[in-house]
Amino acid sequence: MGVYMKSATRMICRFLILVMAMLPFQTGQASMIGTDQVNSAAAVQVDRTVVLDYLSRSQTVNELQTLGLDAQAARDRVAAMTDEEVSTLAGKISALPAGADGGLALLVLVVFFIWYFAFRR
Amino acid sequence: MPDLVAWYRCARLTAGVFLLLAALSGCASLVPQTMGLRDTWPAGVAVQTELGEVPFFPQQDYQCGPAALATTLVNAGAQVTPEELVKLVYIPARLGSLQIEMLAAPRRYSRVSYQLAPRFDDLLREVAAGNPVIVLQDTGVGSITNWHYAVVIGFDYPAGELYLRSGETKRLAIPFTVFEYTWKKSNYWAMVTVPPDRIPVTATEAGYLASIVAMERVSKPHAAIMAYATFLKRWPDNLTASIGLANGRHTLGELSEAEAVLRRAADRHPDSVVALNNLAQTLSDQKRDDEALAIIERAVALGGSFAAAALETRELILRRIKGSK
Repeated sequence: MGVYMKSATRMICRFLILVMAMLPFQTGQASMIGTDQVNSAAAVQVDRTVVLDYLSRSQTVNELQTLGLDAQAARDRVAAMTDEEVSTLAGKISALPAGADGGLALLVLVVFFIWYFAFRR
Repeated sequence: MPDLVAWYRCARLTAGVFLLLAALSGCASLVPQTMGLRDTWPAGVAVQTELGEVPFFPQQDYQCGPAALATTLVNAGAQVTPEELVKLVYIPARLGSLQIEMLAAPRRYSRVSYQLAPRFDDLLREVAAGNPVIVLQDTGVGSITNWHYAVVIGFDYPAGELYLRSGETKRLAIPFTVFEYTWKKSNYWAMVTVPPDRIPVTATEAGYLASIVAMERVSKPHAAIMAYATFLKRWPDNLTASIGLANGRHTLGELSEAEAVLRRAADRHPDSVVALNNLAQTLSDQKRDDEALAIIERAVALGGSFAAAALETRELILRRIKGSK
């Protein structure tokens, strides 16, 4: 199911980008143009709320939820990310490194013990 | 047969030399940046430093991410606890925290997070400048991975050691070689969190601007204003930062300050539709629609990818002029 889900979400994503490209972009306050629009590398101005809505319905939030987060927490976390970061994360949460355990593995110390004294700088 | 003995000794010596060379080149490729430091130590950086004031939060369970983040955030003046950060960066089923979330969470506390270039030099320069650095290490061996966040708070190059706040250890001394071996596997991933009135010493113009723009999304407007103002002191010609500073002022209703910033930006970047558009909007919001109309006509004439926004602003100004008559 993973493959089908992925291609399905990819389709939806492309469709949304196309739709958004055709829509005139909205600005938050009157008609001041915002920095994220000016600084955006992408030619298409992606509306954040659309991305968030998309994410809330997509596999990504399901993934976060199966990983133990509720939908609201997932949405809040995504709100603090840039578009680039969101797209990096989408569909890859289980594969990316998650820093967890403390301390150094004993094996590392053993392997490097002799080396430490030989080449410690 | 003395000849044979001599030949044997010679062969043994040759083999020994080969083995030593192989071992040396092997080490060099295992920890290339540590080897690089032997040749060139980063200019202007003391060989020994330690940020003893940096707080320490012993990690609970698998929560080294929240602990590491609390360490640098509290050091940057934020009021936060690791428990609070668990909600923002910890993923229960992964028993850990993702790098992207580590970068995203500080923005909620109006601190700028900046990912360093993957260089030992940059790590050392930041620590020497007083910024503790969060690093992602893999402390596993071979195919076993064991991702772990720690905070580099100092180093002593003559002694060959770095000092880390790590896990439940307040001051972990670790050799440069071992550190690089564990750090290399995360592609030398490292980040700092700074208050908005401070720029990391290794920051690049484009990279740091992106960090502030990312923070602006969820931070307090005052923090974004301060970050842009600080940025502009260092890179005064940056257009996006000027826009950001002006937008922050505009949001707070400080229209004349916003106008001053935008006028300067429009002078320096006469072809910027965004600067002209936002200046026109700011003038119009001060009920100076005739001035605004002259400015927005310039923006509309320039066209480009923001032409639609400029046209919209002109419509608005024309409506306001009509309404006031």
